[in-house]
Amino acid sequence: MKKLLAVSAVLLLAAGMVFAGGSQETTTESGTEPIKIGAMYALSGTNAAIGTNIMRGVDFAVEMINEQGGVNGRPVEIVRGDTQGDPKVGRSVAERLITQDGVHAILGCHQSTITQIVAQVCEQYQIPELTAISTVDNLSTFGFKYFFRMCPMNSLYVENQFMYLEDLAAQTGTPIKRIAIFADNSNIGQELIRCSRIYAEKYGMEIVAEIQYSSGATDLTSEVLALKAANPDAVLCESYINDAILFTKTLAEQGYKPPVVVAKANGFADPSYIPATEGISNGIASVVEWNPDLTKGQDINAKFKEKYGVDMNGHSAESFTAVWILKTAFEQAGTTDGPAVRDALASMDIQGSFPNGPQIILPYDRIKFGDMEVDGVQHTQNNLYASVAIAQIQDGEYKTVWPFEFSATEVQYPAQYE
Amino acid sequence: MEIFLQACVNGLLIGGFYSLMGMGQNIIFGVMKIINFCHGEMLMIGMYLTFVFNTFFGIDPYLSIPLVALCMFGLGALIQHTLITPSLGTKSFTNLLFLTVGLGILFQNLALVIFSPNYRTITTSYSSITVHLGPVTMALPKLISFIALIIITIALFWFLKYTSTGKKIRAVSQNPIGAEVVGINSKRIYIITYGLGCALAGVAGALLTLFYMVYPMVGSSFGFKALIVVVVGGFGSIQGAFCAGIFLGLLETLSSLIVGPTYRDLTVFVTFIVILVVRQIIILRRR
Repeated sequence: MKKLLAVSAVLLLAAGMVFAGGSQETTTESGTEPIKIGAMYALSGTNAAIGTNIMRGVDFAVEMINEQGGVNGRPVEIVRGDTQGDPKVGRSVAERLITQDGVHAILGCHQSTITQIVAQVCEQYQIPELTAISTVDNLSTFGFKYFFRMCPMNSLYVENQFMYLEDLAAQTGTPIKRIAIFADNSNIGQELIRCSRIYAEKYGMEIVAEIQYSSGATDLTSEVLALKAANPDAVLCESYINDAILFTKTLAEQGYKPPVVVAKANGFADPSYIPATEGISNGIASVVEWNPDLTKGQDINAKFKEKYGVDMNGHSAESFTAVWILKTAFEQAGTTDGPAVRDALASMDIQGSFPNGPQIILPYDRIKFGDMEVDGVQHTQNNLYASVAIAQIQDGEYKTVWPFEFSATEVQYPAQYE
Repeated sequence: MEIFLQACVNGLLIGGFYSLMGMGQNIIFGVMKIINFCHGEMLMIGMYLTFVFNTFFGIDPYLSIPLVALCMFGLGALIQHTLITPSLGTKSFTNLLFLTVGLGILFQNLALVIFSPNYRTITTSYSSITVHLGPVTMALPKLISFIALIIITIALFWFLKYTSTGKKIRAVSQNPIGAEVVGINSKRIYIITYGLGCALAGVAGALLTLFYMVYPMVGSSFGFKALIVVVVGGFGSIQGAFCAGIFLGLLETLSSLIVGPTYRDLTVFVTFIVILVVRQIIILRRR
C-alpha cells in the first residue's frame, strides 16, 4: 500500500513538473489558463482519513466554481501536496508546489506545526496561504503578511463554550456561575484550563474545580467523585476518545448528572463516541465546526452527500468555504499576482453569501480578516467573525443547539443522560 | 468518608485486575525466566474474544469466560510450542525480548486490521444496573467482576499449591534442573505455564470488557501496570504480585482522592521508587 502511494506520489510529482515546465514559457496572464491552488494536507500516513475529508470539501467547491465558469473565465485547478502529516515533508512540498507547479495560493494545512512551516515558505515567495483547519493560537502571532486563518482559534473555541453557557443561562433563567473543568494533562487539556481561567473572569463565572487526569486512565471514579463533590453548574471537558467514553460510563455508574456538559470536540466528536455510550450520553454537548442539521447549507450538503455518500463534516465544510474565499480573492484582485491577491484577502469583507456564490455555510455570517488581541497577545489576519456551533446529543445523535439562530433544536436542560 | 470508601472499593477492583495480570506475568517469569512483553496484548485479545462472542454469537460476557480462557490457553500453548521454546534454546535474552515485543506489535496491528481503530463497548440488559452497598455505588458488572476476580485468584492459589500440575510448575520454577532430574517434562510445563499466563490475562480482559472499552491499544496501559506489579512484587513471586497489584490499585484511586487527580501518577511512581530503594537497602543490610 505504502509502495503504491509512493509510486503514485512520484508519478504526480513528475506530472506536476511537466506541467510546470509548460506553464513557465507562458507566464503572462492569459484568458483560459487555470488558476492553481495548492492543497496541502496529509493524504497518506496516520492522518490520511482526516485529509480525505478535507479534500472532499475542496474538490466539491472547485467543481462548483468551475461549473459556474471559474474565476473571470479561468478554471480553478487544485494541485495536491501530500504532507504525510510530517513537518519535515511540509517544507519541501510547499517549495515544490510554489517553484515547480507554480501555484498561485496555498490552502492548508491541518496540523498547526506544518501550517507554520508552510507559512514561512509562503512568506518568502509572497504566495498567500489560507488555513481553514489549524487552530493553535500562536500561528497568527508571528505577524506573517501572507498567512490568513479562516477558522476560529483554540481560545475562541473555549470562549464559544462560555458564550453558550451565558446564552443558556439567559434562555432558561437558571444562572450558570460555578464551572468545573475536566481535562487531561496533555498540552491540549492544559490549553482548555489556561483559556478557561481567562474567560471565566470575563464572563463572570467562577472555576470551582479543575480536574486533571492522565490520558489512558484505567479508572476515573475518583475524578468523577471530585467533580460531584464540587457540584458545578456546568462542566467543560477536553478528553481523548477513550477517556471520554470512560468518563461518560463513570458518570452513569456514579449516578452523577451534571446539568450541563460542554466538551471541546476531540473525543466527544469522534464517530465511535456515541455508539460506545449509547443510552447514557444524551444531553452531553460538544463544540462542532459544522453539523448536517445546521439551518444553513442544507442544499449544499445534500449535493455533497449525493456525490460522496456521506454528510459533510466540520473539516469538509471549512475547506469548502476556504476555496470560495480564495476564489473571491482572485476575482477581486483581477490577477494571480501574489501581493495583489494578498491585498484582496486583507480587504475582503463577505457578508451573508459569496458574490455569485453560495451563502456562508458555517455557523457565522461574515468573513473578514483582521487583527485582534487575546489576553494581551496581538493576533493578525484572523477571521474576526469566525465562530463554532455547539451540538447536543439527543436521541443518539448530535443536534445543533447553538448559536440559537442557526439551530432547529431546543437545548435539553438539564441534561438527562438516558 | 463515603468518597473514601468508594475510592477504596474501586482501588480494590482495579487492583484485582493488576494482580491478575501481574500473577500471570510472574508465573511465566518464574518458570522460564522471561518477561512476557505481549501480556497486555493478551488482555486485548481476551477482550476482543469476549466482544466477538457477545456480538456475533450472543453469549453473555460472563458466561464466555471459560471459552475465552480455553481459547487463550490454546493460543498461549501454540505460541510457546512453536516460538518461545525454540528461542529458549538460544539462551539469548534479547532474542526473547524481541520475540515477545514483536508479537505484541503484531497482535495490535492484527486487531487494527480486523476490528479497525474504533472504540467498542458491550451492553447487556444488566450493564446499567447500579448496586448500592451502604454508601458505595457500584455498577453491577463491576461487582460481578470483583467477585469473579476473588474466585479466580483463590482457584489459582489452590491450583498451584495442591494439584499435581501446579506442584510441577512450582518445582520447575524453583529448580529447573532438579525438576528435570525427578522426571518432570519441563517442555510440557513450559507450554502449560505460558498457556496459563495467557489465559489469566484473557480472563482479566473478559472481566473488564463490560465496563471498559475495547480498542487495539487497550493492552498497553494494563501491560505496563502489570510490569510495575511484577517489579515491585518481586520477579517470580505470585503472592508478591497479588499484594503489589492490590496495592497499586488502591494507591491510584486513593492518591487521586487525597493528593489530587493531577498528582496521581506522580504519587504512584514516587512511591514505587521509594519502595524499590528501601527494599534494596534492606536487602543489602541483610547480607
